[in-house]
Amino acid sequence: MKYVGQPVKRLYDDKFVSGKSTYVDDIQISALYAGFVRSPYSHARIKRIDVTDALKLPGIVGVYTYKDLEPLIKDGIGIWNVYEDPRMWKFVPRKPLADSKVRFAGEPVAIVIGVNKYVVRDAIDKVNVDYEKLPPVVKMEEALEDKVIIHEELKTNVAFDQTFTGGNVDEAFKQADKIIPVEITNNRLIPSPMEPRGIVSRYEGGTLTIWYSTQVPHLAKSEFARIFGIPASKVRVIMPDVGGAFGSKVNFLPEEISVIASSIKLGKAVRWTATRSEEMLASEARHNTFKGEVAVKNDGTVLGIRGDLLVDLGAYLTLTAPLQPAIIPLMVPGPYKIKGVSIRSRAVYTTTPPITMYRGASRPEATFIIERIMSIVADELKLDDVTIREKNLIRANEMPYTNPFGLKYDSGDYLSLLKDGLQKLQYYELKKWAEEERKKGRKVGVGMAYYLEISGFGPWEFGEIRVDENGDVLVISGGTPHGQGTETAIAQVVADTLQIDINRIKVIWGDTETVAASMGTYGSRTAAAAASAAMVASKEVLEKMKRIAARLLNADVEEIEYENGEFYNKKDKSKKVSWDDVARNGYYGKELGISAQIILPGDVTFPYGVHVAVVEVNDYGIPKVLTYKAYDDIGNVINPALAEGQIHGGATQAVGQALYEEAIINEDGQLTVTYADYFIPTAVEAPKFESYFAEKPHTSAWPTGAKGVGEAALIVGPAAIIRALEDATGKRFTKTPVKPEEIL
Amino acid sequence: MLVRPGEKVKIRVKVNGIWYERDIEPRMLLVHFLRDELGLTGTKIGCDTSTCGACTVLMNGKSVKSCTILAVQADGAEITTIEGLSSDGKLHPIQEAFKDNFALQCGYCTPGMIMQSYYLLKENPSPTEEEIRDGLHGNICRCTGYQNIIKAVQDAARRMRA
Repeated sequence: MKYVGQPVKRLYDDKFVSGKSTYVDDIQISALYAGFVRSPYSHARIKRIDVTDALKLPGIVGVYTYKDLEPLIKDGIGIWNVYEDPRMWKFVPRKPLADSKVRFAGEPVAIVIGVNKYVVRDAIDKVNVDYEKLPPVVKMEEALEDKVIIHEELKTNVAFDQTFTGGNVDEAFKQADKIIPVEITNNRLIPSPMEPRGIVSRYEGGTLTIWYSTQVPHLAKSEFARIFGIPASKVRVIMPDVGGAFGSKVNFLPEEISVIASSIKLGKAVRWTATRSEEMLASEARHNTFKGEVAVKNDGTVLGIRGDLLVDLGAYLTLTAPLQPAIIPLMVPGPYKIKGVSIRSRAVYTTTPPITMYRGASRPEATFIIERIMSIVADELKLDDVTIREKNLIRANEMPYTNPFGLKYDSGDYLSLLKDGLQKLQYYELKKWAEEERKKGRKVGVGMAYYLEISGFGPWEFGEIRVDENGDVLVISGGTPHGQGTETAIAQVVADTLQIDINRIKVIWGDTETVAASMGTYGSRTAAAAASAAMVASKEVLEKMKRIAARLLNADVEEIEYENGEFYNKKDKSKKVSWDDVARNGYYGKELGISAQIILPGDVTFPYGVHVAVVEVNDYGIPKVLTYKAYDDIGNVINPALAEGQIHGGATQAVGQALYEEAIINEDGQLTVTYADYFIPTAVEAPKFESYFAEKPHTSAWPTGAKGVGEAALIVGPAAIIRALEDATGKRFTKTPVKPEEIL
Repeated sequence: MLVRPGEKVKIRVKVNGIWYERDIEPRMLLVHFLRDELGLTGTKIGCDTSTCGACTVLMNGKSVKSCTILAVQADGAEITTIEGLSSDGKLHPIQEAFKDNFALQCGYCTPGMIMQSYYLLKENPSPTEEEIRDGLHGNICRCTGYQNIIKAVQDAARRMRA
């Protein structure tokens, strides 16, 4: 093992530090520009759209509304059938532009195509739309009443209504010493990667070539083929450099479908890059409330949880919104032995921008609920955070553990990690220090939170290895890294499996014509699934090379062993042949080359950890996270520097989610549509980090043994930070974000 | 100077050591001039409100947000973009330091972050951590959490002082 476990430097940073990166807006291709006319109203009927003035502008090629594009569209945008069951959902497949009604302020109503982005912007202002305003419904609770129906054909605003029951809830509540009410909320926020999304679509001779800022090029290819009725073999989707996504770019926007439709209609390449305002409307997340009760015994045992979960969907059901209402209840029990859980989960439409998934996709919501419950129960019973968790954590000898909803937690020692983690993070010392500082008048506090999360999603991932005639290696991955650096981790795994110099390896991904199949990078699955697929394909390639070596050495393949670049006969080690010679002979005469492809099946795994935050509040009530520490069991760590980077980034987003970020919406629409009114943490707000990985990790069933770390810090961070804020102020907070006026 | 609707203005701008002459609309932003007119796509656009700093370049030696400068304001000026930082194919110490310290993930904020770091170190060759965080206050990163960027700038400062 030479590379795995080492902080190997990222392989492809040169282009990023020298300005040679190519994100979708950087692609130099002759294309027309697209822009969008958007609704200023949250809810309105479209009476008339007049495009004549816009068409008069020199340089404007076309202005299209829904009726212009409808003939090209065979079907609407649907949901993610791999992970979501459409039978449980009430929704209308999304059209490329608003048809007769607009349902949120910002909804695209017409697409404007012109020769440059300036004239397109001029033309947008010249499109005249007559609206008849309808009453907006921006609050979830109001939408539940069904007084104003947003999608008339559905006859209700409730898209999803399922009750998840596990174990014996009634029994749990009968045995309770105390029943504690809770109401816990995450407010809407915006994933907001630094790169606003975009698409370039070129249609010629019946084939579509699309450059697309996405996490899921292969899913995009299938969906575009279905939506436009074009054979998928004639649709090529290319993922360029992608400037961050955090789950928000597993999504198909009507704007993107409109661009593709326009390119087909015009027979010309058309491109669109979102402005920051458009990007902020394109993907929003979280926004849910849990109202319920917790049944506890006086000794701190949590017997049961029951309640109602209400999740906002926004105006339309997106590709990934269905994950949250379905998975949040399943993960509420977390790493604790809770014998009865019953949660009614409902998701409603509102006349607001649509909701998608965002880093954690249901696990941050679930973890915030259970960790807030644990801390509230601790406070009510006058116990401390550590005792309450020690009392309820699943024991190592109970693993693998099946939770009340049937989820099987694969491996772990939750209690030991709590102990080791808090010691390593110096939690007790920090708590004492904070107490002393508070005596001096500083409002400073320390909080901890524990998480168990579900990651490494299957059902499969693709990996292909090609060894060329020079002995150099091409890795074709089904993963789609977009900043995580996991392409380097994949190369490390392949280099160790093949025992070659990592510099001989190139990793590629993202082009549907080059990569035979792919699910993609999301859900913290790349180190688990994609790297494992590459590892297994590497082993197959090695077997093929052994057969070639056997032929060259006139031996039986069972006699051949391989080590560090040499294939040798184990019965006579002087009979050997080099990696390079075997490679060359793999392309000689009747040999068919050396490659292996695999679709590797696999299933979820459960990483876990404990995080600690130190928060200080100033005289104006403005909170700041001073320090953020993490101790995580993520299974095998392929590259500790890359893994730590995910903790830093996730924790900084947690700082935003807990304290600074909220997508503020009222009946006139969304008020936070620029970085001037939506507060992303800068270098000044970001804390100092310390990150450790468990000394004795528990591996996943994926061949690399990795469990996933990409989302961990955002999953547990808000709970740790809010707990620290409570410690600093002596107040209770049960929602994110907490605002200064609520702190003072 | 009077420019009527639809008329263009001729500007001469030196970018990364080369003089360019172009006829452009007066309302064209410098960042669009660099990216679309000159094809220098290293400088990125991240927001609409000059908040994020992805568009940071040097103009006559000072860091500016090129989304908030009109190209006509750059007439006669010397601009350095991220493409102009390395010389003779060799990376600048700041670029090396960013690589060595894992100071980037998706890379989108990186050109602006590096250009601002370059200016910061020019003005203050030995900044404290707080001065670095303050100096990079106008450059937003969504991926890294900034700690590795701070380390990279401190590392670059050391290399440049040597």
